[in-house]
Amino acid sequence: MVNRAAGTLLAGAFAALLLAEPAAASTQGSFGATSTGSVTINASVPGRVRISGLSDVTFSNADPSATASNAQNVCVWSNTSTRGYTVTATGSGASNAFTLASGALPVVPYTVQWAQTSGQASGASLLAGTALGGQTSGAINSDCSAGPSSSASLVVSVASSALQGMTAGVTYNGTLTLVVAPE
Amino acid sequence: MPPANFLGTVGRRPGPVRGALATGVLAAAMLAGPSPALAQKVRITNLSDVDFGTIANLQADSRRSQSICLYSNGTAGGYSVLASGSGSGSAFSLANGPNQLAYDVEWSGQSGQSSGTALSPNVALTGQTSSATHQFCNSGPPASASLIVVLRGSQLAQARQGSYSGTLTLLIAAE
Repeated sequence: MVNRAAGTLLAGAFAALLLAEPAAASTQGSFGATSTGSVTINASVPGRVRISGLSDVTFSNADPSATASNAQNVCVWSNTSTRGYTVTATGSGASNAFTLASGALPVVPYTVQWAQTSGQASGASLLAGTALGGQTSGAINSDCSAGPSSSASLVVSVASSALQGMTAGVTYNGTLTLVVAPE
Repeated sequence: MPPANFLGTVGRRPGPVRGALATGVLAAAMLAGPSPALAQKVRITNLSDVDFGTIANLQADSRRSQSICLYSNGTAGGYSVLASGSGSGSAFSLANGPNQLAYDVEWSGQSGQSSGTALSPNVALTGQTSSATHQFCNSGPPASASLIVVLRGSQLAQARQGSYSGTLTLLIAAE
C-alpha cells in the first residue's frame, strides 16, 4: 500500500510538472536547402492618457458687467478600448478651490467647465477635486499631431458678480491643474 | 572490387591490407565518376519567443534581441534570410483583436548585436555569412546571428491598450 501510494504521488507530481511546463511556441528549423524557424512575439500595452495643448488663460480689462469666459481647445488622448478617460481639476485656492488671488485681497472664484469635444464654449461643470468620468477622446495619437488637432474644450469663467468684487488695476492669478486618467 | 567487409578486414589486419584499401578506394572513385558537389544546406535553431511584457514607456522604442544559431555549409557559409509576419500580406504586425501594432525586424550576421539590417516582409536579405561550424552550434561559436525585434515609440503612442501577439517566420536559404 505504501509503495502504491508513493508511486501515485510520484506520478501525480510528474503530471503536474508536465502541466506546468510552458508551451514553447518558437519552432526550430530543420537541416536542408532551406530552413524555417518561427517565434511568437507578445507585447502588452497599458492604459495611457495624455493631455496637451494647454494655454494659459488671461482676462485683460474684463468688464465687470458681464461674465468673462475663456474657452480653449486641448488635446486629450486615451488608448483604452473605448478611448475613455476621467478628468479631475484642482485649483490653487484653499482646499483646491478654483480661486484667483492677489496678496491679501479677497480671493476671486472662477468656474471650470469641460467638454469632450473641441470648439465648445460651454461644457460640464467641474467640481474641485472631483473626477468627471465618462469622457471619450477623438484623438488618434498622443499629442494630436495627426488626426484631429484637438479633442476637448476647457472653459474657464469669472462671473460678473466675482468681477465686481475685484480691485481695478490689480493682477490676480492662480493655477488650475487638470489630471486625466484612463477609463 | 573489395569485399563487403573490406573495412573490417582492414581493422583486423592493418599491415597487409593497406594496399588493398588504396586500391578499393580508387576503384570506388572510378565507378562513381566525378564526385558530385556537396548539397548546400542551412539550419536555423535556438530561436526563442519574444516577450516585451508590459511596455511602460509608450513614447520610446522597445527593442529585444536574441542570439541564434545559423549554420550554412554553403560557400563561405553564405545564406539569405527572408522574414514574414502574421499580419495582412505577411506584414510585421501584432494583433489584439481588430487592433494592430506594427513592429520592425532587424538581422545581423553576428551574434550579440542589438541592431542590424532592417528586413522587409517577404524580401530576402542576401549576402549573409555564418561563422557556425556545427548545425546546432554545439561546437565552435554558440551563436552566429542576431534577430532584433523593435516596437517603435511612434507606433506604441498610437496603440490601443491590450495584449498583442503575432508570429514571425524566418526562412533561411543557402547561398
